[in-house]
Amino acid sequence: MNRVFKIRIFAGRAMNGILLFFVLPALLLTTACVKDVTPSDSITTATLTTTSDGLANAVNGAYALLKDHVTFAGSTDENNMYLRQYFECSDFASDDIVCGQTTTDPLYYSFSLGHTATQTNMRYFWYISYKIINDANTVIEAAEKISNPDVSTRQLLGECYFLRAFAHFNLVRFFALPYTTSPSGTGVILRTSSMDPAIKARSTVQEVYQSVIGDAEKGASLMNAARGVGYASKEAAWSLLSRVFLYEENNDSTIYYSNQVINSGKFSLTTAATFPSLFANAMSGTETIFCVAFTSAEDYGKFGSIASMVYSNGNSGWGEEYASPSLRDTMSAHPEDIRWSYIVPDTVGGVIQKKNGIEMYYISKFSNQGGSPTLSSPIMFRLAEMYLNRAEAEAKAGQIAEALNDVDMIRTNRGLSASLYNGQIPSGQTALDVVLKERRIELAFEGHRSFDVYRNKRSMNRTYWGYHLLGLKESDIDLSVLPSGYANMIITPDNPKIIYYIPIDEIETNSLCTQNN
Amino acid sequence: MLVSLHISLWAFSQTSISLSVRKQPLSAVLTLIEQKSDYRFLYRETSAFSRKEISLKVENASLDYVLSLILEGTDLGYTINENHLIMIGEKEEVTVLPADWITGVVKNERGDPLPNVSVLIKGTTRGTQTDERGRFSIEVAEGDSLQFSYIGFEPQSVKAGHGSALAIILRSVNQQINEVVVVGYSDKKRSELTSAITVISAEKLKDVTTNDIGSMLQGKVAGLQVVNSSGAPGAAAEIRLRGVSSVNASQSPLIVVDGIIGGNYDPNDVETITVLKDAGATAMYGSQANAGVIIITTKKAAAGKTSFEAKITTGFRTPDFGKMKMMSGSQLYEHQKEYYRDYIPGDTGNSYKVDLLQFINERPRSLRTQNYDWLSDMFKRAPMTNFYFSASGRTEKSDYYLGLTYYDEKGTFLNTDYQRINLRANSTHHFTPGISLSNNINVSGTTGKSYDYNDVYYAYLNMPWDNPYDSVGKPVYVDGNSTFKWWSRDKVNPIHTIANSNHPYKNFDANYDLDFNAAITSWLSFSSTNRGAASYFKGTTYYSPLVAGTYSGTGYLDEESTLNYGYISNDLLKFNLSSGEHRISGLAGVAFEGSHTELMGASGKGLPVGLQVLSVVSNTQAVSGSNDASIIQSYISQLNYSFRDRYFLSGSYRVDGSSAFPSGHRYASFPSVSAAWLASRESFLAGSHTINNLKFRLSYGVTGTQDIGSSRYLGLYSLSSQYNSTVAAEPSQLASPDLTWESKYQWNAGIDIGLFRRIDLTVDLYNNITKKLLLQVSQPLSVGFEQRWENTGQIVNNGIEIGLSTANILTRDFSWKTDFNISFNTNKLRQFPATNINTQSTWSISQIYREKGNLYEFYMPKWLGVDPQTGAPLWEQITKDAQGKVIYREATSNYDSATYQEVGSPLPKFQGGITNTFRYKRLSLSVNAYFLYGNKVFSNSLRFVENDGTEPYYNQAVLPKGYKIWTKPGDIATEPSPQNATNSTQTSSRYLKDGSFISIRNVALIYELPSAFLKRIGVNGVTVGISADNVYTFTKFFGQDPQTTITPGTYVMPGVSDFKYPNNRQYLFNVAFRF
Repeated sequence: MNRVFKIRIFAGRAMNGILLFFVLPALLLTTACVKDVTPSDSITTATLTTTSDGLANAVNGAYALLKDHVTFAGSTDENNMYLRQYFECSDFASDDIVCGQTTTDPLYYSFSLGHTATQTNMRYFWYISYKIINDANTVIEAAEKISNPDVSTRQLLGECYFLRAFAHFNLVRFFALPYTTSPSGTGVILRTSSMDPAIKARSTVQEVYQSVIGDAEKGASLMNAARGVGYASKEAAWSLLSRVFLYEENNDSTIYYSNQVINSGKFSLTTAATFPSLFANAMSGTETIFCVAFTSAEDYGKFGSIASMVYSNGNSGWGEEYASPSLRDTMSAHPEDIRWSYIVPDTVGGVIQKKNGIEMYYISKFSNQGGSPTLSSPIMFRLAEMYLNRAEAEAKAGQIAEALNDVDMIRTNRGLSASLYNGQIPSGQTALDVVLKERRIELAFEGHRSFDVYRNKRSMNRTYWGYHLLGLKESDIDLSVLPSGYANMIITPDNPKIIYYIPIDEIETNSLCTQNN
Repeated sequence: MLVSLHISLWAFSQTSISLSVRKQPLSAVLTLIEQKSDYRFLYRETSAFSRKEISLKVENASLDYVLSLILEGTDLGYTINENHLIMIGEKEEVTVLPADWITGVVKNERGDPLPNVSVLIKGTTRGTQTDERGRFSIEVAEGDSLQFSYIGFEPQSVKAGHGSALAIILRSVNQQINEVVVVGYSDKKRSELTSAITVISAEKLKDVTTNDIGSMLQGKVAGLQVVNSSGAPGAAAEIRLRGVSSVNASQSPLIVVDGIIGGNYDPNDVETITVLKDAGATAMYGSQANAGVIIITTKKAAAGKTSFEAKITTGFRTPDFGKMKMMSGSQLYEHQKEYYRDYIPGDTGNSYKVDLLQFINERPRSLRTQNYDWLSDMFKRAPMTNFYFSASGRTEKSDYYLGLTYYDEKGTFLNTDYQRINLRANSTHHFTPGISLSNNINVSGTTGKSYDYNDVYYAYLNMPWDNPYDSVGKPVYVDGNSTFKWWSRDKVNPIHTIANSNHPYKNFDANYDLDFNAAITSWLSFSSTNRGAASYFKGTTYYSPLVAGTYSGTGYLDEESTLNYGYISNDLLKFNLSSGEHRISGLAGVAFEGSHTELMGASGKGLPVGLQVLSVVSNTQAVSGSNDASIIQSYISQLNYSFRDRYFLSGSYRVDGSSAFPSGHRYASFPSVSAAWLASRESFLAGSHTINNLKFRLSYGVTGTQDIGSSRYLGLYSLSSQYNSTVAAEPSQLASPDLTWESKYQWNAGIDIGLFRRIDLTVDLYNNITKKLLLQVSQPLSVGFEQRWENTGQIVNNGIEIGLSTANILTRDFSWKTDFNISFNTNKLRQFPATNINTQSTWSISQIYREKGNLYEFYMPKWLGVDPQTGAPLWEQITKDAQGKVIYREATSNYDSATYQEVGSPLPKFQGGITNTFRYKRLSLSVNAYFLYGNKVFSNSLRFVENDGTEPYYNQAVLPKGYKIWTKPGDIATEPSPQNATNSTQTSSRYLKDGSFISIRNVALIYELPSAFLKRIGVNGVTVGISADNVYTFTKFFGQDPQTTITPGTYVMPGVSDFKYPNNRQYLFNVAFRF
């Protein structure tokens, strides 16, 4: 009996120890509570907007949204970038760029006019535009609560007004018919407060323009501590105003704001010697008013860069779209024009290469920053546009001599000193024809051409071989003649496909938002 | 040790027994039987006789039946000699009788004699069998043991003695009523179960050899949908239980390993799998059990002495390309003539003839013989090997199990593979009979090589006219500057890319479980189960500077690593009380769970040829890193009540708090109640030969979901971007301050029927309503956000599940058994917000979520075929009046005016499996089939390989029978004219196919070597087997494979089949030794 008892005591002690070992933590756990888990790479909106660092970061975010591949519809797709869609969906719909290959990428609809409300590129563009606007609104609302803001806070605030104006203006260009067609036509949804109800109707084109002008003017007045051409500035806001008023055909205001920029003394036109290196060095270019800064970390390569569709060194890109025969014909009279330097023929032994029967003239305005074929800091505003905006307004206002002078100013700096207009309009042309031709060549591939054609109520002529011709087979191509019998070769300004459909996502969730015809 | 010989000497001639006892020890019951009959008992008075509490009521039952009831659940057996002397002892050592001829009778538990039972003297080939009245006689020697075996019954061994008659009771293996089932935080006898539970024993899992338990379960559990959507080495199957009941939360059932949520294990170490289907069982797991629970129990020591098992499996796999056959060089040549038809839509002078002159001019005749099969060059037969070794044993104080597995699978696709080594050591030390401590450890290491989607894509799409190899057989380099003719659309040779790139990954994972069980009193015990787990994963993407494409000349290296660690502790008090015919048991306690994830990655370009580490990248360096954590705290309780072992009631209540929600919305409770009536134990059915099991079950309960990631309720700016090399904050999430749990309310009614001891039928009906769905509600994009997390909407799943097991033929030499299951599920959405569309970014394929709609319903224009007059594609255009009523439907060739409509869901209408097992003597054959019906699959690859000439430089699929290309006016065709195919490859129901299939999942043939020979070489048993997996799939599906992912993800939409790593056929040989 004794022995058994002893053993029990021994076992009991050991067990008590083990029991304690388990029961104590168990009791501790019952009293422990569920803590907040805060994200490691994000910060709450409330926290962010109450610090000056936070506001600066949020403004940076609005710029970053122009270049980032933001997750959309469940995936982070390298095709999706605000600027990529901005350039593709404007210029691929123009007569400056020809399509060398059909593709399942929705960029093809800009060539084929097979627009849909579900095409991802424009859905993404719409989404990011409004994300930039939301970001700007958040900063504006936070910054306006600060009493006596310092100059740098006012600069940030001004940049947000600029970015909101810029984003709204680009939206109304892509998704609404030109102001010149009908100012009272349906524009886009205006978002100027983060408190707005989510369900909201589209404003008229005129209302959007008014809001854009108001924001840009306010931005210009607030921005007095310039941060370099990678950020918005007073002059960038004036440049935007110059462009907006040009689209409105408000000639006086266009001339006024062009002058504001030209006379600011901060910029000078590149010359025949320096122009070829402008786009690879936009951040330091004398002509750059505002560009979106890309660093080598944002060299997105073959899948994600802007250059990938229009340029390739053989490997760097898809290189499926080229400078069009129409543009090259327009430039053909002047092989000395330095602007040819951004059109790069793909030749083997001096023979131009073809893709599926289409001659391959690569476009290099989005290449060669730091030597990379897929990197550039795309220029959104530059001085040459201000001269050309002014020239167009002057031409429309009947100030022919001034208009031709401005055109000559550009030509002088592009290696065409020997071929100036010197106040003489070539026979059979108007001053506006001269200006628009110069504008086409100077600003080619920079996202202007389609808008320039349609806002002037002109037709787009795409009567050349390319895969914008529906049903085209390589075997059909005969470069010695022009194509005939295909649909959509001439696109008139009343064609509903000169603009894009409102994204299906908006239509399905915003009952007040109407679709384009 | 107290030993008492208890001999009773009464002798009556009564043979049937009536008894009524409550909570009596075994010895008392035996005394009672002795008093009422002429039997006497002989036994050693061990603890089992004094402790066992027996409640029993029988009327005129046979002695055998009574004994089988009172000894149930013990290790005790008995023999009866001619003098009605009954010896009770451990089964192996019952009776010591004098050697000579002995006679006896073999009966089943009900006392029916069993004919044709094999009676063998152990270790010899000498034996006999019973006659039609179950009798036998055999000559035995001193020390011999007799082995009784009969198909469908558990074999039994008895030591033989002289001059005695043996009465042997064989227990039916069909009779699993006493089997212990692991449910929730406790074990229950099968007879006590009150909820819908399926148990799959190791026996039923061993036909399929895989590294993934999901593949093993395919077709074996009613209500369980298992999809093998990828054939990549090491890929895991996707599992759905009772349909899909959530939109955003994980739909994979919760895996519980050895009683603890989560955990790592090797399929070879699995003893049983229990699938908990209704809330009666799953509510115990509360917040994480919305998608059902799969409980994995790993092997523990089985027998007293040390035993070893070794299993070697080896064989190979071949890719299964399904019904999408790519064209050969000559087929493509003929096909491309269609692109040269003289037809300009709208023109008048069309001849509709192929312009052969121009065709041959552009497509030289030599192409017909240029016939490079990219698929067979890039997909090869691949070997796989699995080694498994285990040792287990038990001593008085401790038991242990050690399992070691090495799994090596080469991929069928170039440069892909998977190896895994897994070690599991389970050990339990019993300090006293009531106090034990278990240490379970599982360590695994994995290495493998993944692949790049683009390489698979090009394997299908590159043209057979391009030769991937140069004249000396090396992969040829192609890029945009190559001057030789390369027909394929993109200037890429994927074989060259693969030879100069690598996608290796490594994973290390360790789990340590420490379990402590202590009996505090005879009715109260404490149990603490704890796990610490850590894993580290590293994945690398490497492209040498030699590859063509974006990294040409620079190379690229990206390394991502993930560290996960966490811990779980469950601390429970359990009690077990009984009084007469009432029994009450239950538990209460706390659980705490914390997990952490740390991600880190870096990449860069500019690699020196031959080197692949991050230190040598020279430009475009990028880094990333982030952390995440989640904490769940729970209070658990359960109460079980049973009366007369016939009426069962069980209730549980759990409260969970999760860090996924804002404070104030963190805690939710998950109650459940379930009841069962085991009618077959009622006196009116007891002893019935027709109905051997009849049980009715009913349960109701609630489970929840919080598994959407942390901080979904906060309004956030993401700081992971930069602008001009400084921090950039982008708006990333709208605030949703009231976000809280999604909960699933579940009803289940079930019936289990056993007939003739041959047929087991289980039928369950369920109604599951998921409320307060954690939904990413689409916002107008113009607010700058795609969606906002909200608790809104409901999903209703209704279904019926039928499981049927039959023993069709049972004879001594031959048996045939069938396991069949089928389940039907319907799915409806309700109380949904405004129309909510989810569209896959890349291909604009959309699925709609709307009031009264189905989950994952495809939403796209309906394809109406080809216009016989123009050869143009046709879609349906619906015109509606202001009230939304359809006015008329017409066909249009203008894609933009086609009407979006609902065209079907990828969720099946019904699905199931059937397994037939045949056994002839030592040879057994099992055939397992899996079927799925009524699901729609969007075959996205067809957009490329059935593209009507819109992409003439992609290879095309051979058109199936019945498909025809339009060539001239009047043609009734399925394929538009290549000359008039605008938008024909746009998303529409053209590529939406019926995904129904029946697949011969597995065929396994196993032979068990005769034991007599093996004994002499010291081996207990050897089985050899051959098996074949994914033997054949019967389907009308046109596309790569109807088994398509059902998990939403990045680039992935449920039910959309894209180019993927094809599934495999697998042919294996295996041999297993037990010694």
